[in-house]
Amino acid sequence: MGFSYKMRLILVCLGIFVMAWVGFLFKSLLLPDSFGLYGHFRADAITEAVEVPVRHGTNSSCFKCHPFEAKIHKAGLHSTISCEFCHGPYADHVAVDKKTGTLPVKTGKQITTLCLRCHNTQIMARSEEVIKTVAMPDHLRNQQVKLTHDCNQCHHVHAPLKYINRAKQITGLMEKG
Amino acid sequence: MKLKDPLPDMQKRSFLKKVLNGTIAGSLYLVYPMNSSGFEWPEQIPGVRDAYDIHARKFAFIVDITRCIGCGSCCVADKQEYNVPDGNYRTWVERYVKGFSDQIYVDCPNGGLDGYQTPRSDIKEEIRDTFFVPKLCNMCKEAPCVQVCPVGATFTTPDGFVLVDEKRCVGCAYCIQACPYSVRFMHPRTRVVEKCTWCYHRIRKGLLPACVDVCPTGARKFGSLQDETSEVYKILKGPGVLTVLRKEMGTWPALYYKGARMEVI
Repeated sequence: MGFSYKMRLILVCLGIFVMAWVGFLFKSLLLPDSFGLYGHFRADAITEAVEVPVRHGTNSSCFKCHPFEAKIHKAGLHSTISCEFCHGPYADHVAVDKKTGTLPVKTGKQITTLCLRCHNTQIMARSEEVIKTVAMPDHLRNQQVKLTHDCNQCHHVHAPLKYINRAKQITGLMEKG
Repeated sequence: MKLKDPLPDMQKRSFLKKVLNGTIAGSLYLVYPMNSSGFEWPEQIPGVRDAYDIHARKFAFIVDITRCIGCGSCCVADKQEYNVPDGNYRTWVERYVKGFSDQIYVDCPNGGLDGYQTPRSDIKEEIRDTFFVPKLCNMCKEAPCVQVCPVGATFTTPDGFVLVDEKRCVGCAYCIQACPYSVRFMHPRTRVVEKCTWCYHRIRKGLLPACVDVCPTGARKFGSLQDETSEVYKILKGPGVLTVLRKEMGTWPALYYKGARMEVI
């Protein structure tokens, strides 16, 4: 090697400098933008997580266009039940204030199955304070109706005691108000 | 004799029609204020929509086991919100049955999506206690899944959420093994890891998580810890007993259980 001591020192320093630059260049090329802003991850991923479309509305989003159902639903014991649980998500029905699809309405035995998801006494983990449960088909027998009856033949699905209370008022079994 | 040209009349008629239509439509616009963004739902988490300081916000989730009736509303809402593929669950509801011999029986048919229609028939002994336990992401402060991710695709946001960066995830599934609560799964189509996010996109828009919104009995509660009027804040400040799952693992979950028996893991 024909370099002088000084020249070698300069070359070593230059080498370190070049390598550092190459390192920084590769780092900036390989790391995505916004990586490390909040920590060892891409900060833009938070923005992307925020922009996920909302598919589930709230009950008030349904009541905006269905005031008739809203009035019954809010007054009844089922007021805490979500519309979308039985009918499907808001996004399948409305997009930017336009109706885009029809949501299903449960009928017949589907309703009974749906009711018994919550109101079945046989599943013992349901406390009296939280929910009123019935045993089927004992309930039908006690109420002296046919065993083939569906729940919605006596109970309004949105306000379960609506017809029952009305019938009691008419027959004088219950005081009005 | 030249017949009168019908054109001007027709034009007049159609012109009048258009003017009338325009007037009616215009007045309707005044009566019904159309929202441009399609978003005028009430703010369920107060103060989120105004200004969101990502470093100052903290949230907590409380599951009240004594109020859960196992209806599966939360599971249905969750599947609808994210189109979760069949066989995978972001949240699910387990049924615990405790016999008098202290034997624990746990089952979870289809993640609770179809509800619990029938009691368990395979238990011979007398049953002492039965309850439902909803499960979801625990949003650990010291999340094992974040620690093991080799590419920085799973991370904890400054406001305390553990999220997955779909674009960065390479699908190595280390985090699925690391999670003590088994809340992560591999999406069968995209082959990246998915998990419950506590509906981060809804929270940032001021809405409650889908499962909390649909819960008919109020068993799932969610709220901001900055808001002193929120139910979650009051419960956390109050004297009631709250537990977390697998405390001994030191993950420091932000998901608390109220009324959880010691057998719940």
